[in-house]
Amino acid sequence: MVYLRALFITMLLLTTTFSMANSLDQLEKKLADLKGQVVYLDFWASWCGPCRKSFPWMNEIQAKYKDQGFTVVSINVDHDKTLADKFLQEMPANFSVIYDPKGKIAQQFKLKGMPSSYLIDRDGEIVSAHVGFIEKKKAIYEQAIKQLIQQ
Amino acid sequence: MKKSHLLKASLVMLSIILTGCSSLGVEPWERDLLAKDEMALSSAPLDAALDDHIYFSKEASSGGRSFGGGGCGCN
Amino acid sequence: MQLKQSTQLKSLLTTATCALLGSTTTQANELENWQFDTALMVYSEVDRVSAAEAIIAGERTYDNDQVLNLKLTLDALTGASANGAVAQPHVQTFTRPSGKGQYQADANTTPLDDTFKDTRVQLTGQWTQPLSDGYTWSVGGNFSKEFDYMSLSGNTNIAKDFNKKNTTVSAGIALAFDQIKPKGGIPDPLTPMIISDLISGYDDEGEDDDDGINPSSIASSDNKTTVDLLFGVTQVINRRMLVQMNYSFSQVDGYMTDPYKILSVLDINGISQEYRYEKRPDSRQKHAFYLQTKYHFEHSIIDASYRFMTDDWGINSHTVDLRYRIMLAGDHYIEPHLRFYKQAAADFYQPFLNQGTALPEFASADYRIGEMDTYTLGIKYGMPMKSGQKLAFRVEYYNQAPKNAGFTQPGVLAEQQIYESIDAIIAQVSYSF
Repeated sequence: MVYLRALFITMLLLTTTFSMANSLDQLEKKLADLKGQVVYLDFWASWCGPCRKSFPWMNEIQAKYKDQGFTVVSINVDHDKTLADKFLQEMPANFSVIYDPKGKIAQQFKLKGMPSSYLIDRDGEIVSAHVGFIEKKKAIYEQAIKQLIQQ
Repeated sequence: MKKSHLLKASLVMLSIILTGCSSLGVEPWERDLLAKDEMALSSAPLDAALDDHIYFSKEASSGGRSFGGGGCGCN
Repeated sequence: MQLKQSTQLKSLLTTATCALLGSTTTQANELENWQFDTALMVYSEVDRVSAAEAIIAGERTYDNDQVLNLKLTLDALTGASANGAVAQPHVQTFTRPSGKGQYQADANTTPLDDTFKDTRVQLTGQWTQPLSDGYTWSVGGNFSKEFDYMSLSGNTNIAKDFNKKNTTVSAGIALAFDQIKPKGGIPDPLTPMIISDLISGYDDEGEDDDDGINPSSIASSDNKTTVDLLFGVTQVINRRMLVQMNYSFSQVDGYMTDPYKILSVLDINGISQEYRYEKRPDSRQKHAFYLQTKYHFEHSIIDASYRFMTDDWGINSHTVDLRYRIMLAGDHYIEPHLRFYKQAAADFYQPFLNQGTALPEFASADYRIGEMDTYTLGIKYGMPMKSGQKLAFRVEYYNQAPKNAGFTQPGVLAEQQIYESIDAIIAQVSYSF
């Protein structure tokens, strides 16, 4: 019995460490797959107000520029995945979502606020970043994307 | 004398807070609970306004949480 | 049906507010920028004051996170309140504040002035906007009017976030100008209330509508000014906990006497000989220290606060407030509330004056500045509605227990209850949409 429980706990620990490492691996793999494309990397959470406002816009740019080698990749930092899923039901995303419940990716990127967005060029280099989503700056955000695509 | 003590104590408090607190807190992506409406310091402002009005008119104290009540001839 | 009605109400309110603000077009999505909170409260004391208060508050968020808050408050008050005189073994007769007519208090009962009747309208506006470098600036104003009172105030506040927004430091100032125009005028303080048979006989209607001038009046109105300073620090402790510490200073200058309050003048046998109008100092300096914390457990939130207030009238007070929100299924919640309050008496508080001794410089028998303990027990129940609206009910019981601050009651007064406790019920409905 004790033996069984020890085994169970070891397995649990292994799976959690695995899934913790997993979010970082997932992103690495995703970015490797998207090499040669311009990527808009966005960190969001269900509890973040401006994130909600950014979703329709991200759907829009994804649709508008996908044929020119552009992809939106989002990273959800909700502790509880069910809250993220509930958000996505109200606010469907037509771009991919990587779940980072332990904040492993967020930690690596040293986020300064929510939402945080990064623009990655075709060589996989981060060229710009911004914190927050301000309605009035949508044109500026889009301009930066357009420029990078045309480079 | 009493006042200067008070001032000193507040200054010491403030410096402890400003230095000691830089190690406290959360990362921007860890605000899931703090971002909830019900975790705001004033999560029910109308309840607070109604309570302030009652207690301002029935007791001798006001203020502290925000600017001290008043605006009525009830006290 | 419900949903439709609520949407209609919201659009109506939005249109009305926009019209008031002078913008002519109401776009469809303008609705989404507004959040309305409403509340209706009834306060009722056993045998004394009853009040009803309604609030409607609108909050509009603009694209750059600027926030406009507008609030309209209406309240109505009726009933009887203690006039400051002590109970006697005989019937007592008092002159109404207008100077016309009289009212009586039965033997062995706390004298209550049943003239109390007022309605108040209050308008509040606040504008808050983020500036660069983590600064937030706010400015607001307040106007309030009731039958015998007018208040005008303005405030401004600046806050700065440090340390990934985990620490916020703020400073603010508020200035207020209040004018009181009591019924019958401002009575000459510490002079006897004139109770003349010439002043028309006893009227039992409990109304005091005459705009008469009380023979004791020395002016028709008076005013006061208030300067409030507020300094605060808010600190996030961890993912579940935050703490706020405030210090506030308040300087009030001007007329702070209650023109409707009197003191009994007793002989050595405790028998009332006359009544004199009260008098309070014309300056008051208050300091308040406030500490609040919130802690988020897995399925509940505790909200605890403590306030210490001290002033140069000699009033020290302690307030503890505890709220515990228990989250239930489907975003319903239940929130028990406990509040304890304890105050020491003002230096010039005395329950009565003694005949044959020199008049003090200041005197008031208003139990609200005497020694007192109060507590509040309450419960709130909240629930979400179909599409984002919120409904909540709150019921509270409030008890005030005035205490003897060390005064001996001479002669017949020893038999009288002069520190009568007061019970009140508070009921409230809130609706947000």
